[in-house]
Amino acid sequence: MRIAISALVGVLLAAVASFGAVQLASASQKDPVIKPLYNYGSR
Amino acid sequence: MAAGGRTWRTGWPLPALTGLGLGLLVLGPGLAPGFVLSYDMVFVPDPGFTPWTFGVTGTVPRHVPSDAFAAALATVLPGDVAQKVVLLAVFVMACMAAASLVPSPRILPRLAAGVCYAWNPFVAERLLLGQWALLLGYAALPWVAAAAADADARGGGRRLVRALLPAAIGGFAALTVSGITALAVAAARRRGAGVLRVVLALAVLSLPWLVPGLLRAGGVPGDGGAVEAFAARADTPFGTLGSLLLLGGVWNGETVPAAYGNAVTSGVWLAVVLVALFAYGRWCANTDAPWQRGLAGAAAVGFAVAALGAVAAPVLEGLIGLWSGFAVFRDGQQYAAPLAVVVAVGLGVAADRAAQARLGAVTAGAVLAPVVLLPSLAWGAAGQLRAVDYPDDWARARDIVHADEQPGVVLLLPWAAYRSPQWNHGRRVLDPLPRYLHRRVIANDAVTVDGTTVAAEDPRAVRLDPLIRSGAALTEALRREGVRYVAVDDPANAGSQARRLAGAKVVLRGRDLVLYRIDGAADVRDERVPTAAVAGAWIVTGIAIVWSWLGSAITLGTPLLGRNPRRRVD
Repeated sequence: MRIAISALVGVLLAAVASFGAVQLASASQKDPVIKPLYNYGSR
Repeated sequence: MAAGGRTWRTGWPLPALTGLGLGLLVLGPGLAPGFVLSYDMVFVPDPGFTPWTFGVTGTVPRHVPSDAFAAALATVLPGDVAQKVVLLAVFVMACMAAASLVPSPRILPRLAAGVCYAWNPFVAERLLLGQWALLLGYAALPWVAAAAADADARGGGRRLVRALLPAAIGGFAALTVSGITALAVAAARRRGAGVLRVVLALAVLSLPWLVPGLLRAGGVPGDGGAVEAFAARADTPFGTLGSLLLLGGVWNGETVPAAYGNAVTSGVWLAVVLVALFAYGRWCANTDAPWQRGLAGAAAVGFAVAALGAVAAPVLEGLIGLWSGFAVFRDGQQYAAPLAVVVAVGLGVAADRAAQARLGAVTAGAVLAPVVLLPSLAWGAAGQLRAVDYPDDWARARDIVHADEQPGVVLLLPWAAYRSPQWNHGRRVLDPLPRYLHRRVIANDAVTVDGTTVAAEDPRAVRLDPLIRSGAALTEALRREGVRYVAVDDPANAGSQARRLAGAKVVLRGRDLVLYRIDGAADVRDERVPTAAVAGAWIVTGIAIVWSWLGSAITLGTPLLGRNPRRRVD
């Protein structure tokens, strides 16, 4: 059980670390304004 | 038996909690009050049960029955909470279902499978594309595989219907993916009764969308010209096939997670996937369980279908030419879902072997690898999934339209299916107004990808298309077509609609929506699908679902699928 809890905590810690990195990277970005306006998407 | 039962009871909470944790991390800012609107993901406050919800209005029933499910859930929960419950359920189910297939009493290997299945490029790209209904079916796919393996056993039919229920809610795409998987697994056991039960279960659960789809006036649409638009594409350095193997490769380049596809993390992820596939292959070779080979076969078939549009587009175009229903294979990447099951279970098997060899770090690494290698899925996919409120103008427009007892439909302008509204942080989304209003809305349901446009399918949109594109005055023609309201929900980019709607009365002019009313609109009816047939389809499906739960004392301590597959394969 301790191993399992450790794994769970590990997943959470990894995700939190990842989140922090991503937040830092995206902090300076503005909202995406995707053009052309009415497309479903682009390849 | 007691040991098996104990194993199960102690086995499911941690995968469930892990799935919940992963879901919370993924949604992040999307958990705030409000709606997460991204591409095809549209939830609205107070959704209604309208004829459109059930595909009776003659439109293609792509949203059946998932919209009805969302509306049903919103009768007991606020609409935005219902959305979050559905999205979190995807992660919880995915983690639990994949973990349940790993033949190990150890929790870490099972968590490795669960985490891998719930956190990978497939989930990320389909979530960003807003395909929550497909993901519902994806989440339960490991359960479907296990249930299909036992379909011919006593109670197997019931277990199969229960396992297919999330896919049935998801609709045609989710059920097609699950159907391929279930048929491959059942066929591998070479028992006709099992295959027959799978076919029957799929047929009965498909009725809510199959009946309106087949009975609509325009039949089943299929634009063969759009094959290349929706074909899988490379989002890693390993080409299209390599990207599909890594569970990515979505057609839409805008829905690839931030920073995904660089050479370093893709290379490591490729190594993880190859190890997982190798472990799965060894497991198949060393055990005598045909369903494992069936699942591998489903993954191979799914991979071939996923690649078809990219490597042999003329073949798929030819098939669609023969029967338009083959258009369901156009969006290829979604058929990589069975491969995701194999990769996840294989990773769990590999982690179990590492645990047996007392390589604890390797086992823990297998659990963490999917998250570490795809960090940008965290926190709303790096901030892309955020909760927003619908503008006040929309609520005012709804009050006006719903208070009006005069007949007539609503026409939606600008004449396009998708929007990138500022109130949604510029994120692209299928226009929510047809779901937001309880009155029939005619919108241009043609979709454009780069320079390719898939033709509109709503018969009334098709009829109005030339008029609206002509630039001519609209009011008189719309009155004859039974249009009571015209909603312009992107006024800043809508151009000179006012000139074309001379004679229509502006009943609401807001920053986010302008609403015109056309008095004296003719009473024009949709070419409806027979309501009795659709009602009959729902009744038959409902009876099958109720039957599947009868006689099974479903508790959290009872295996959802009956026998635990672990005991069968060890």
